[in-house]
Amino acid sequence: MGPLIPMGFVNPDLNLFFAFVIGLGFGYVLEQAGFSTSRKLAGVFYGYDFVVLRVFFTAAITAALGLLLFSYMGWVDYSMLYINPTFLWSAIVGGVIMGFGFILGGFCPGTSIVAAVIGKIDAMVFVLGMMIGIFFFGEFYNTFEPLYNGSDLGGIFVYDSLGMPRDLFMFLLFVIALAAFIITRKIEDKVNGLKPEPGLFHSSYTAPFAFMLGVALLILLLPESPKAKWYQTDAQTLLNEAAEGKQYIDAEEVTYKIINPADMDLLLVDVRSEDDFARFSLPGAINIPLEKITDRNSKNILKDSKRKVVFYSFASTTADQAWLLARRESIENIFVLKDGLNGLFAKVFYEESDTTSRLEMVQFEKRFRDEAKQAFLTGGASVKSSSKPAPVRTLVDVQPPAAGKGGC
Amino acid sequence: MENKPKPYMNPYLAGFLLGLVLLAAYFITGRGLGASGAAKSVVIETIGRVSPEYAHSHPFYSSFFAEGDGRPMKNWLVYLTLGMLGGAFFSGFMSGRAGFSIDKGPKISNMVRLSFALAGGLLFGLGSQFGRGCTSGAALSGMATLSAAGFVTMMAIFGTGYVIAYFFRKLWIN
Repeated sequence: MGPLIPMGFVNPDLNLFFAFVIGLGFGYVLEQAGFSTSRKLAGVFYGYDFVVLRVFFTAAITAALGLLLFSYMGWVDYSMLYINPTFLWSAIVGGVIMGFGFILGGFCPGTSIVAAVIGKIDAMVFVLGMMIGIFFFGEFYNTFEPLYNGSDLGGIFVYDSLGMPRDLFMFLLFVIALAAFIITRKIEDKVNGLKPEPGLFHSSYTAPFAFMLGVALLILLLPESPKAKWYQTDAQTLLNEAAEGKQYIDAEEVTYKIINPADMDLLLVDVRSEDDFARFSLPGAINIPLEKITDRNSKNILKDSKRKVVFYSFASTTADQAWLLARRESIENIFVLKDGLNGLFAKVFYEESDTTSRLEMVQFEKRFRDEAKQAFLTGGASVKSSSKPAPVRTLVDVQPPAAGKGGC
Repeated sequence: MENKPKPYMNPYLAGFLLGLVLLAAYFITGRGLGASGAAKSVVIETIGRVSPEYAHSHPFYSSFFAEGDGRPMKNWLVYLTLGMLGGAFFSGFMSGRAGFSIDKGPKISNMVRLSFALAGGLLFGLGSQFGRGCTSGAALSGMATLSAAGFVTMMAIFGTGYVIAYFFRKLWIN
């Protein structure tokens, strides 16, 4: 059922309250661990105190394992979590500068805050320096901007970059941490001139190490999660819905609403590629390529839409796939444009009816088609992209018409 | 005279608890921890007070007035940091560690220590902007979600630390 606030289980107004409560725990643990003294922190670089490594590694592994386990149990929807985006060179340069800051200053931002509040004057000065550093970045933002926003790899995962399965990576990370704990203990004893303890590690660590090893093994050996997560629509319901075909919306209805913006109650979502979207799209449509349909941002857009969402592609195959994926994620109120763009334009442009027919119905249809044809050719229903279109367009962003140049 | 401070918590227990706090942050709010963000909010709020026009037209500062009802201080990380101050003070006070002091290596004077603390803070502030977060926000939280950024930042910070530690050893050891 998590993350609770992004999934709408807890009132977002409580977000700041939870921030405060989580902060209480964060500050308490950091201080208890001894992170409020720069002497202990710097020890990790000189071998006399490895508390930073122990706490940091244990915390990262606990949280990472916890999240994987929660995700496996279906308690947390991983795609709704904030994944730090990777701007490769910016991250490396930033990390190197921070490494200098750590050695010179003896703190990192979190620990300096914790130390400053219990009266460490060096930490207060560090915090002041931090603010000057941020101000410096802001003032020279234009100079730094290309590096800061360059080499954007998106929210990629480390195991993908290394080309190994997630669970194997997690297990290896655990093994590396365990080895580091054991080795640094020996180094620490040596640097401090203590008599090394016999045995691989301190006997009181046996229980926690064994517990963590157990959880890590569990992650590695668990089979693929077989059932639908609680937030997903189960397969049978989905199958029934797809077979019923109620998800289709007629080209006429869509066309009518495009040429009568006052009646527009649809959010048109183009699920084709960005290139296709740039070449031609329906007026007011936004672009979410099929492969991005279950991304966090896309899900938020689709969920928050007050209007009916209509997926369209050239024909309806891609849109059908998008519909299935989105319905699987339990997104409501979504539809598919029947027969896609091809169908829509066939209706509007090519389906010449018998003009001599006297049936009122047919005449009405023809008038409608002529009107629509006119709108697409000359009216506000045709969008020609300028140089590079923004990935998401809103209804008001309809640009001046250019002759109906469709990529369809 | 002060009482002797209580010993620190077992580091693995502390790490485990810190991991649970981080897990709770993700479970409840969908995001990790961070500490440099609050400092940024303070800086930007100050600039906004001193020169609103400048702050609102600046490419970097202006984006922070777009969120939180246009108030940089009404920010998740600011409230997290307020909590941190409370939690840390409680812990330090209860363990008999609260009180003014300066921690430093045995060979340097207070003035030297404070100058280097200022310089270190400055560098960390600057670096945390490039890194899109500091040791908590980028490295720790990034590692918890197994993001590539988290591991890259962590290795860059600690790798650099180990490479240059020798040259600054006078600051910390004999």
